[in-house]
Amino acid sequence: MEKGELRARRAALKDLWRQGLNGRSLLHKHSALIDDLMAQSFAACPQTGNGLALVAVGGYGRQELFPFSDIDILLLHALDDDKLLAEVASAVFYPLWDVGLEVGHSVRTVKDCLADARRDFFFEVSLLDARLITGSADLFSELTSMVQANFVSGLRPRFFEDILLHRTERLQRFGLHSYMLEPHIKESRGGLRDIQAMLWTAQVIFGLRGLIAMEEAGLLSAVERLGLETAWDNLVRIRCQVHYMCGRKNDQLFFELQEEMAGSFGYDDSGALLGVERLMRRVYGHMQTVAVAADLFLEHVADVLGRAPAPTGAVVADRILEPGIELLNGRIVLSDPRLLIKKSTIMRIFLSAARTGATIHHRTRKLICTHLHLVDDNLLRSQRAARIFLEIITSAKQPLSVLETLMETGFLFAYIPEMKKVESLSQYDVYHVYTVDFHLLHTVVELHALRQEMPEIFRTMACQQVLFLAGLLHDIGKGRGKGHAESGARLAKVIGERMGLAKRETACLTFLVRHHLYLPHIATRRDLEDEVLIHHCARHIGDIQRLAMLYLLAIADARATGPNAWNHWKAALLQELYLKIAHVLDNRLILRPDQRQGVEWMLQRIGELLGPEAGKNLPSLPDDYLLSFSPEEVVHHMSFLPDLTDQEVLIFPEDQGDHWSLLIITHDRPGLLSRICGTLALHSLQVFSARIFTWPDGTVVDALEINSVFEGGYEEQDWQGFGRDLILAVNQRIGLDHRLSRKLPPQRRASTMPATRRPPEVVFDNETSDGYTVIEVFADDRIGLLYEITRTLADFGIDISRAKISTKADQIVDVFYVQDLQTGKIRDLDLQEEIRRELLHVIKF
Amino acid sequence: MKKIEAIIKPFKLEDVKEALNEIGIKGMTITEVKGYGRQKGHKEIYRGAEYTVDFIPKMKLEIIVESSMVEAVVGKILAAAKTGMIGDGKIFVLPVEQVIRVRTGEKGNEAI
Repeated sequence: MEKGELRARRAALKDLWRQGLNGRSLLHKHSALIDDLMAQSFAACPQTGNGLALVAVGGYGRQELFPFSDIDILLLHALDDDKLLAEVASAVFYPLWDVGLEVGHSVRTVKDCLADARRDFFFEVSLLDARLITGSADLFSELTSMVQANFVSGLRPRFFEDILLHRTERLQRFGLHSYMLEPHIKESRGGLRDIQAMLWTAQVIFGLRGLIAMEEAGLLSAVERLGLETAWDNLVRIRCQVHYMCGRKNDQLFFELQEEMAGSFGYDDSGALLGVERLMRRVYGHMQTVAVAADLFLEHVADVLGRAPAPTGAVVADRILEPGIELLNGRIVLSDPRLLIKKSTIMRIFLSAARTGATIHHRTRKLICTHLHLVDDNLLRSQRAARIFLEIITSAKQPLSVLETLMETGFLFAYIPEMKKVESLSQYDVYHVYTVDFHLLHTVVELHALRQEMPEIFRTMACQQVLFLAGLLHDIGKGRGKGHAESGARLAKVIGERMGLAKRETACLTFLVRHHLYLPHIATRRDLEDEVLIHHCARHIGDIQRLAMLYLLAIADARATGPNAWNHWKAALLQELYLKIAHVLDNRLILRPDQRQGVEWMLQRIGELLGPEAGKNLPSLPDDYLLSFSPEEVVHHMSFLPDLTDQEVLIFPEDQGDHWSLLIITHDRPGLLSRICGTLALHSLQVFSARIFTWPDGTVVDALEINSVFEGGYEEQDWQGFGRDLILAVNQRIGLDHRLSRKLPPQRRASTMPATRRPPEVVFDNETSDGYTVIEVFADDRIGLLYEITRTLADFGIDISRAKISTKADQIVDVFYVQDLQTGKIRDLDLQEEIRRELLHVIKF
Repeated sequence: MKKIEAIIKPFKLEDVKEALNEIGIKGMTITEVKGYGRQKGHKEIYRGAEYTVDFIPKMKLEIIVESSMVEAVVGKILAAAKTGMIGDGKIFVLPVEQVIRVRTGEKGNEAI
């Protein structure tokens, strides 16, 4: 055969493939094509009688020759003539090399083969598939009978050990994250190699060739065999396509190949899923079928050979766990299959596995697979079953093992049918390395790990089961179009109600699923220094337990997503957010331990600065005041006290670069803050934040952050004039109203985007803080607004202790921590309504 | 040609990206980084658990521009990344000797 002819025939084969030739036929035809070539080349060689045979081994031996796979050929000989051998070898191998095919070639005698096979397991199994292409049939049959005698007869257990050992090694190597996202069609768990391992094992241990023979011998059920055939066909087809797309031997379905393959297999993007996601779902589905079948089969063989099961952690003595369910050789066995009639039996088998940490025996697993029809509506609605299920996912000793078995037997999908939509579902990005179903299992496993790592947080939770269920369900809305958290929450509600969870628990579950991305989004995209934001988060989440659950769920979710989704960087941001919200929810007035230390340190330092005498008579200063200033500043403030007359107002402005700080020391009186705000407005100064500290002796220290509404610099500001006016205003010697009203018109900023404005709003919150009512005011910004708001509050006899003003696109959000002078918190709803109306009135004015 | 490296607060990334888009900056490299400057890490004990933050998460941007663009780019980053609070970050401008586009081998401004 000419070089050109071989190329042409290979090209013709590719055309046939494009026209829809099925995968296995392609392998067959390709193999026959190479056979032809070999036969021709061999015929052209000098005749050597019975001394030579051309033998196909490995995949080529099985007539499964992929487009760019190695062509493994053994030149088997019984000759001494090296020159003749060399001549034959070149005649046979060169044509293959010439067209650039990869050839795995060897020249061996039968004796060589046996010696090499002893050393090299892969060569040994490749001999199992040996096939005579041309040449001496006698020589070939000598080889096969020697292989039979030396490697099969009497050595079955050793062969099986090798199969298991190599499979374990392979799964470790190809079980890495990168192979999840980009499965290796040949070597990954559930790849073609797993099918091969089953077939070799069947051949060597039971003398059975092929899946049908295995089914007839009862090693496979009809369903399993059909599933395997389908998976096999599909994996072959995919591997052929990968070869053709790459134009070389590559068996890994790389990310960048996936989309093109989806296109060429006719998967379009019409549905809720991308075409490539539907393709990958099929790929993962088939590999899962193969993996499960291989696990079950190999375990069965291990039993037949009396091989001890792989240790699963705790070695425990055989015992009866409950009637009909036993622990045998470290595995859970349903000893009385008649018990399956009782609907809860399957659930109890899993419970036994969860409690003992043992795996479930493969025969029992098969029984579960074939009895899934028993999982009916009654079981789905049984509260008792639900409690068992929750115990399984929350308390399993070996969570991954139990959860995988729940899934692989199909029980999980039968018990929570809503999960079928995410079975084998993949997401086309480099971020999510697991399919959604596995991701959900791993999230639960990560929650188990977090319970070890962060026991303090778990201790704050009254009930962990809802958290673990949320871990299992949080992405259940995937594959249903946009907004998976929202649709997931709706499904979670249905599931929670069906399981008979308490109303409160279902509400919590729904909340967790709906908002499982809330914390990560805020942590990475919003300003965590923004107190208003933190405050909103706290209100949104509501209580500390939910916050803890949301935080843990976010960590577990990210860690179960893939190596890129979680790192120290994200962890630090998320932790910061968690702690900030936790402090708001917990109780802002109780000092954290480090703050308590801070207060003591401050008092000590102040005492030192003042000297032994004065230090003893320190006035009792409020904690929040002490934590807001340096010891030197406090001493500085105190130095003014002796001379501070009732009328005096001391101001200390300071340039801070992008803003100015303004410290005001005076004696407390009603409406003080509003007069300060009014005077600031009069001098075209706007306020960002204000903290008001009142000492027990009636001294007030106000710390403000301000800026000019003009571009004017700090030096240009008339601080003296401001100080004068402030004293007059505080002592009620000037009318702020009429002065501001004269000043306002030219200062009012025209709003640029009236369409995006949100109507003014006033929100009362008595939950967030223990001692204070929090009032939030949303309004369009204008000079003097803060004066009017604070004056209104003062008119109601309301004392403001902190204010924070943030401006965003012409809207301000003011947060006031206030107390009613008579009653503390403002709890009276009528009064709240009255204040709200009054505030809205002055805002609109 | 200059390389502009900016350390900014993570949540400011989108704003900065948008602002740079406005003046035609189409490419940048971003990295999640941690570090400290004036804004230090801290330790906190909450409910019996100790939480330490040694380094504070920031975002690092790297942009290569023609020298004439430096001022505009720096100006945009300054305006977009500023919150006025501690820890707003820093901008570094470094000289760049050569830029080569791998695909075509183009060099200099062509390759930016």
